[in-house]
Amino acid sequence: MKRKILIVDDEEVIRKFLRIHLAKLGYEVTEAADGEQAIEQLGKDDFDLLICDIMMPKKDGWEVIKEVKSNPKTKNLPVIVLTAKNEDSDMFKGYDLGANYYMTKPFTKAQLLYGLKLMFDETPEEIRA
Amino acid sequence: MEDQDRKKVILSLRWTAIIVTSYLILFGRGRVMDPQLSHILITGYILSNVLLTFLPKTWFSNSKLFYPLVIFDTGIVSFGMYLSEKMTTDFYLVFFLIIIFASISRNFKMLMAIGGITALLYGVLLYSWGFLFSKDGSSYTLRIPFIFIMTAFYGYIVQTLTTEKRQELTISEDKYRGLFENANDGIVLLRNPQLIIADVNREVEKVTGYTKEELLRREAFDLFAPEEIEKARGYFKEVTEKGEGRADCLSLMKKDGSSLEVDLSTKRIDLGDESFYQMIFRDLTEQRKLEKKIGESKRNLEAIFDGIRDQLSIQTPDYQIFRVNKAVTENYKTSFKELIGRKCYETYFQRSLPCENCPISVTIETKQPASSIMKLSEDNTTLQIFSYPILDEKGDLLSVIEYVKDITEEQQLQEQLIQSEKLAGIGILASGVTHEINNPLSGIIGMAEIALEEEDPSKNKEYLNDILNCAQRIGEIVKGLKSYSRVAKKEDLSPVDLNEVLEESLKMVRLAIKKTSVEVIKKFQLIEKVQANMGEIQQVFTNLITNAFQAMDGNGGRLVLSTRSLKDSVEVKVSDNGNGIPQKYLNQIFDPFFTTKNPGEGTGLGLNIVYRIVTKYGGTIDVESKEQLGTTFTIKFPLRRVEA
Repeated sequence: MKRKILIVDDEEVIRKFLRIHLAKLGYEVTEAADGEQAIEQLGKDDFDLLICDIMMPKKDGWEVIKEVKSNPKTKNLPVIVLTAKNEDSDMFKGYDLGANYYMTKPFTKAQLLYGLKLMFDETPEEIRA
Repeated sequence: MEDQDRKKVILSLRWTAIIVTSYLILFGRGRVMDPQLSHILITGYILSNVLLTFLPKTWFSNSKLFYPLVIFDTGIVSFGMYLSEKMTTDFYLVFFLIIIFASISRNFKMLMAIGGITALLYGVLLYSWGFLFSKDGSSYTLRIPFIFIMTAFYGYIVQTLTTEKRQELTISEDKYRGLFENANDGIVLLRNPQLIIADVNREVEKVTGYTKEELLRREAFDLFAPEEIEKARGYFKEVTEKGEGRADCLSLMKKDGSSLEVDLSTKRIDLGDESFYQMIFRDLTEQRKLEKKIGESKRNLEAIFDGIRDQLSIQTPDYQIFRVNKAVTENYKTSFKELIGRKCYETYFQRSLPCENCPISVTIETKQPASSIMKLSEDNTTLQIFSYPILDEKGDLLSVIEYVKDITEEQQLQEQLIQSEKLAGIGILASGVTHEINNPLSGIIGMAEIALEEEDPSKNKEYLNDILNCAQRIGEIVKGLKSYSRVAKKEDLSPVDLNEVLEESLKMVRLAIKKTSVEVIKKFQLIEKVQANMGEIQQVFTNLITNAFQAMDGNGGRLVLSTRSLKDSVEVKVSDNGNGIPQKYLNQIFDPFFTTKNPGEGTGLGLNIVYRIVTKYGGTIDVESKEQLGTTFTIKFPLRRVEA
């Protein structure tokens, strides 16, 4: 069964290339354009990974992570923080809130693959191949 | 009664008495007992009066002469009566003459004594003639008390008159004594010609430290400081020759040995039969102190005047320089003498007429301070010129102070400050901008990687388009930053649509601060364009909008941007419902470097720059704020006045 990943970012282009990469790697991808949509999706479905941007309209990434980590249903969901904020304080804040991996924009495919490897403790199909 | 009058009266009364007595003795009814003795008596009487005419008049005021004279006359008349037997009635009248004469003494007791003697002598004569107690002599006998009563009557009248006169004299003397004693100047009475001190007033005691008793009977020269005695002698020589004289700045010696500078004025006066010099002196110590103080404050003012490193000159209302400070002489490498009397515009600006925007012309016209800025083209110097009026007590213009301040450096600094604030502003924006650039950059990198892996070339077109879009977005952001950091020059003025700039600024701030839950309400009216520099106006709005966003930290904020036309200005309001500004900071927020943010977070220059830009365009900025309710900034830009 394919692992399910929820991508949350207000930038369509970022969602797009993430979706293409992850689909190629064999994951099932769901998208959300802001924090509210993300919470909505999380309620509808079970996911194996959340890739979440921080600076977004309506509800920012910090709030999404907080809700995810405080909800018993989702508190074990691994979270990759994806942000253009590249200050140390932000990174620590992310880890404090329970994020599992931190990626600053711009990032390469290699960084994404490394993150996936850490999260699932396995090499994605493409790397395995 | 004056001495002169007294002598005349005494002599004429005696002449009358002599004539009447001689006539009665020589041609009277009675028999002359001894003609030879009578002639001697008459001759003696006449001689005595002739002798008296040669006596000095002052002797007549002296009772030493007066009383013997009266007694002598009484004796002569009595002896004459004795020699001319029974001429009682006639001689009786002569007695009255003598009593009148005696009344001149104004001495009641003496008069009564003489009246007594006369009555007694008359009584003796009547007795020797056998009339005293006889029947036909009774009318003569009655004359004895009559003489006495008449004398008393005269005496009483004389005494009353003289007492009144004396009271009057005492009053007027007290008056003059008071004037003398209480005079503010020292007054010394010196005897003429010995120059011995006869009297001094209280002021003399006060200033010299000596008491009156110590000074009386001393020489005038004792009053002077030893080194001044020669000068004093010369002065008194002049005074004795001319009867009066003045001298400036002589030093008196005080009792404690210190000296006292005085101005002297001396005049000879005659009091009664004595002559004095009245020496009046004025203590100059206070005056010297005052002169010293005036001198000091004059020097202080001069030092301040010269100490000011900006150029100061004082000019007449026809632009003639009559006073300059050192900064002027140093700057023009000239001397004060060369500048004096020259016109300021010729000297400072090499012009033949006053400068067009000369503030002095304004001051001359309005008598009000004025200022203007002049740019010297030759060396790119900017001068700020202030002029202040100096008015006389009537309010007429006496002269004008011209204060020239070289503000070239200041202006450069100000431009640098604006520039650095813009850079600081960019710093604040930077993190937001980084985010905004990093997003499309991520897109570019991500899509490029995908394109590289893609084997189907037809799909690559789509990916390249995405990359192009992202790159163009980055280009837009960079362009926005460039306009933000430019320094506005005068040439950069153009008609600016404030509504447009508000939109632009809002967009820029949104790039920087991605507030999720701020609702922005725009209430824009159609407004006239303002002559201004676009970049600066944008800076004003971005600063205010950024502040508004920051104030609405985390509580469903509402930002209201509104514009409207007023009579001769346009108004822009930036209103938030954020934290508000505490009352105590309200009057500080426009101060440079005032900030309530943590170090590193705010420069404290933002609102100062806003203020400076707004006022530069002749506009006003007002702030209303309530804690926890929000803040509203109201800016008004004038439409007519265009100056930058």
